[in-house]
Amino acid sequence: MLVYGLINSVILALMALGFNLTFGISGVANFAYGAIYIVAGFITWTLIEKLGLPHLVSAAAAIVVIGLFGMFLYKLVLKRIRGLVISEVIATFAVALVALELLRYIGFIGFRYSLPVFIDGSVEILGAYVDIQRLLILALSILVVVAQYLFTHYTKLGLAFRGIAQDEHTSLSLGINPDRIASWSMGIGCSLGAFAAIVILPLGTITVDSGYDVLINALSVCIVGGLGSTFGVIIASFIIGYAQILTATYISSHYTIIVSLVAILVILALKPSGLLGHQKELEERV
Amino acid sequence: MLKVDKLMVFYENALAINELSIEVNRGEIVGIIGSNSAGKTTLMNTISGLLLDTRLKEQRKGGERITIFGRLSFLGQDITNVWADQRVKLGIVLSRERHPVFVESDVEENLRIASYLLPRREIKGMIAQVYRIFPALFPLRKRKAGFLSGGEQQMLAIGMSLMARPKLMLLDEPLLGLAPATQVKLIESIVTIRKEEGVTILICEQFARPVLPIIDRGYVLENGMLTLHGTGEELYDNPEVKAAYFGV
Repeated sequence: MLVYGLINSVILALMALGFNLTFGISGVANFAYGAIYIVAGFITWTLIEKLGLPHLVSAAAAIVVIGLFGMFLYKLVLKRIRGLVISEVIATFAVALVALELLRYIGFIGFRYSLPVFIDGSVEILGAYVDIQRLLILALSILVVVAQYLFTHYTKLGLAFRGIAQDEHTSLSLGINPDRIASWSMGIGCSLGAFAAIVILPLGTITVDSGYDVLINALSVCIVGGLGSTFGVIIASFIIGYAQILTATYISSHYTIIVSLVAILVILALKPSGLLGHQKELEERV
Repeated sequence: MLKVDKLMVFYENALAINELSIEVNRGEIVGIIGSNSAGKTTLMNTISGLLLDTRLKEQRKGGERITIFGRLSFLGQDITNVWADQRVKLGIVLSRERHPVFVESDVEENLRIASYLLPRREIKGMIAQVYRIFPALFPLRKRKAGFLSGGEQQMLAIGMSLMARPKLMLLDEPLLGLAPATQVKLIESIVTIRKEEGVTILICEQFARPVLPIIDRGYVLENGMLTLHGTGEELYDNPEVKAAYFGV
């Protein structure tokens, strides 16, 4: 159980990182995140199954396509309503609805849609059998967190991200264009979502409905951790991750999604800015 | 170098700047002296282009209506409708009032964020140059900017503007909230910046006494209107300025 809790927590963290990145930098709550996650899965599936491309090529292509889509979404839609939080949420959620229901309409339903794992097999850790894929998720998540840290501290674009996140007008008066940075943050956030999809989805089948679950999970982890704080996301995903596994073991796996929702309620009642958050206006934002 | 021609700025129906024409020549330090609500910050935000961004944001949410009339030109180029980040690329860099720094980053990181437009190989040299101009910042370089004192934050804010390699530096109330001794030190640094970096400086301030001795020319602003114009000495000796700003 310890091991499964760990893996579940890491999966949650990986799911939430992209959402968190976009929100932390540009303040855009990307409610299309769950849809993007599922779309990335289906793109990869189509490339592998229909076009016969190699797994890694398909994965890379999906990440790039989704990233470009994110930037495009920002330039086309979000740029015009930037700063109007409710409009941003409505617009991105509308995009999510369109994408997910369109997928359902086209006929992506059923159990035949699943992505291949990277490496097959399983090992025994502390008496529990764990797929290599799950260990891979663990390793890749650590890699993503480290990469994100290096990116935001040592590259020009990353430093500009931090500037925009802290004070838009000061950044603008130093020559950093907020719209450009925000569209990058949207693109990179979506790419992270696609990356998460490609490594996590092989554990099960791809279903349209899980798009909503992904959004709820990402949202609850980000709210509990404090929106925009990477460290908060990691802590929160461990709390919620273990809580979900405990619920699944002792009550019923049916109730796991309730855990996320309850977590949102509890944290909003007790500490509205999240565990490590510094967003004062969180009540307005969510 | 910079020409502001018959500038008028309205917030809704309130007139913030009224038919203001000023000029800044290369190599000068020009002062804009005015009390609170004289329109100094509005003027700075208009010249830097930030007001265009504010206007767009207000428009989007259906907030305050901002109207700008008149023309701005810089180095012979019409910049009236050029966006703020493009103006920075042209060489107009504003250090906003109330020493804006990125409070969660340390001093060195603030300077590195500010080096966005600088070619990679010049960043180290430029950061060293900022520490030369403001030696007080060097021992603090690993401290979070939010924990600096007001004076140190102001030095850092000016240092950050320097990282963008300005041709024309706009300083919006750099002396605000600083102790007299710190004010003197900062004024000295501003003179150093002009001498060593060859930066033209437009400084607006309500503390006329420390500023007037170092400026070549100055404009006195009242309620958005130009009331006086002259060299620093002329203004210093002007009885009206003395009465209004020196409390004599």
